[in-house]
Amino acid sequence: MDRGPKGLFRSLRIRAIDTGGFVSGLVLALAVNGLVWGLIIALIALGLSIIFGLLDIINVAHGDFFMLGTVVALVLATSTGSYWLALLLVPVIGLGVGLILERVIIRPTIRQASLTIVTTFGLSMMLQEGVRATYGAQPRRMAAPIEGTIPLFGIDYDVYRIFAAAFATLCLIAFFLFLTRTKLGTWIRAVRHDPETATALGVPVARICAITFGLGTAMALLGGAIAAPITTVEFRTGVDILPFCFMAVIIGGLGNLQGTVAAALLLAVMEGLVTSVTDPTIARIVSLGFMSVVLLVRPHGLFSGATR
Amino acid sequence: MTAVAISGAALIPVPTVLPLLGSPFWIDVVAEILIWSLLAASVNLLLGYVGLLSFGQALYFGVGMYGAALSVIHWGAGFWGGLAVGVVAAMIMAAIAGSVAVRLTWHYFAIITVVFSLILYFAAMSAKPITGGDDGISFSVPDVVSLGGLKLSLADQSVQYYTILLVVAGFYGLFSIIVRSPLGVRFMAVRENDRRAALVGINVYVTRYVAFVLAGALAGASGALFAFFGRYASASYMFYHVSGEAVVWAIVGGAGSLLGPLFGTGLLIVFREVISTFWEHYLFVVGAITVLVVMFAPRGLAGAWNDALQVLRRSKDAGTSDTTASSGEQDLAKSTTDATRGGSGA
Repeated sequence: MDRGPKGLFRSLRIRAIDTGGFVSGLVLALAVNGLVWGLIIALIALGLSIIFGLLDIINVAHGDFFMLGTVVALVLATSTGSYWLALLLVPVIGLGVGLILERVIIRPTIRQASLTIVTTFGLSMMLQEGVRATYGAQPRRMAAPIEGTIPLFGIDYDVYRIFAAAFATLCLIAFFLFLTRTKLGTWIRAVRHDPETATALGVPVARICAITFGLGTAMALLGGAIAAPITTVEFRTGVDILPFCFMAVIIGGLGNLQGTVAAALLLAVMEGLVTSVTDPTIARIVSLGFMSVVLLVRPHGLFSGATR
Repeated sequence: MTAVAISGAALIPVPTVLPLLGSPFWIDVVAEILIWSLLAASVNLLLGYVGLLSFGQALYFGVGMYGAALSVIHWGAGFWGGLAVGVVAAMIMAAIAGSVAVRLTWHYFAIITVVFSLILYFAAMSAKPITGGDDGISFSVPDVVSLGGLKLSLADQSVQYYTILLVVAGFYGLFSIIVRSPLGVRFMAVRENDRRAALVGINVYVTRYVAFVLAGALAGASGALFAFFGRYASASYMFYHVSGEAVVWAIVGGAGSLLGPLFGTGLLIVFREVISTFWEHYLFVVGAITVLVVMFAPRGLAGAWNDALQVLRRSKDAGTSDTTASSGEQDLAKSTTDATRGGSGA
């Protein structure tokens, strides 16, 4: 039942100590590690943020979408023999899953705006137990598709983690380009801004909502596929990742997309640095405390005033 | 009133009737339902009566649990002393957390309550010397009554059951007195429309705050009883999944009705006990039930029951033009219309 924020930073820390440990190198490496996770989490939290911004849903099942991504990636990679094929297919599957869930579960209950948090909690239970029943309860690890390490600040750093950070950055850039440069993206921003006017101008609002939910889900699954080789793959990982995503979304300001990305990076680097002096649980308490202060002092986020 | 009478009639003979049916095990299941239903009731007080969805009631459950366990271990407190310490500790915790939490509403309130419960959960997990962390701490349970020759111990299953029933019934009694009092009317005014409530002179902040502390007391009582029932306390019960389950019980039962959450808790725990004996993935079905209830019966069992009663009454009215409904049915009708508004207000 131990569901602390383990795993995220521990593996690296042990290796750093093994290599004899330059303290400053260790601190820098933990900051870099935080940055890698921050970029992946930014992608997942962005999915949470667009769903909230458009549909006004607090999606408690979002962490389990991430978990589903890690599991599907592992299963696909082992059955097809290619991680890269899995990385390609997972977001497509995510989009499909999101569209179906929106139609079956979200749309019929969205009138009960206050209860969507309960609906998604039920969905979260179903996803976790569904994966446990089919995939099993045993935590597994996935071999990194890119082997090898490179020296970084005096310690050996996994090449795959560098790739993961770069790939997540590319996905983030692609998402913002999609949002600003395509017709669909413009429609999504229009519906976020003013659904009534958008309807009057002929934007298919219901379809845009469905696509947004599908897109948010796809981003969480994609984040899972990217993170699968650097985390444990089991039915409970979503429970660890969800609070972190929520912190990013709240500190960034509910529905503020750029703010979400900035907050995810800030939080992850901060946790990485705090982890270098104390244990991960204290680091998590520090970020949660930071988030409460933000919520009370600036309820619209640290970056309110930036473009919504 | 009828619902209260029915539950009373069903719950009092449990220790004598269930063994006749062949299984004393079910006495403990019913006792567990009673205990957990207080946690659901604390969600219900906030959601159904004041219109605040808390996803962090497990925190006060956990504080009540440790209050009882630690006071027995370190101060040698008795059953009633431990219970009191647990409830008071939970109320103090709620008073601290509530002073900031109730400044926020809806989404923000739900999130800040989860955040507070997570902070304390992680803190309790790492404070192993005091809390025992994940493994928890166990203790030997003190006597309920120890007067001269009269000794009643929780080791006796029937004594344990009736003690729990007595305490739980006491808290339900208090709950019902509060929601019928002028304070309860203020709760509902705030739930219906906080701006209008403020305009007629109700201090919305104080009203929400009082409700939050009272809900903390209910959750604390639930936790303290559970500590005595299980003879241990563990930080794992402070996790937000426990809060989430309590929300599910309250909503499946029907938020805004006094006993709805008791029936919701009962249904889902009996369901768990029955299904889990032959299928370990019963949580999948619980999740599905949750989604289906929100979809088709957002006012829960109590709401569905009341709708059925109304249909029945209408057909009776049409047949015999007998309009004198019993006062009990009116009570139920009133409490479930409250639930309707509670569910849709935001």
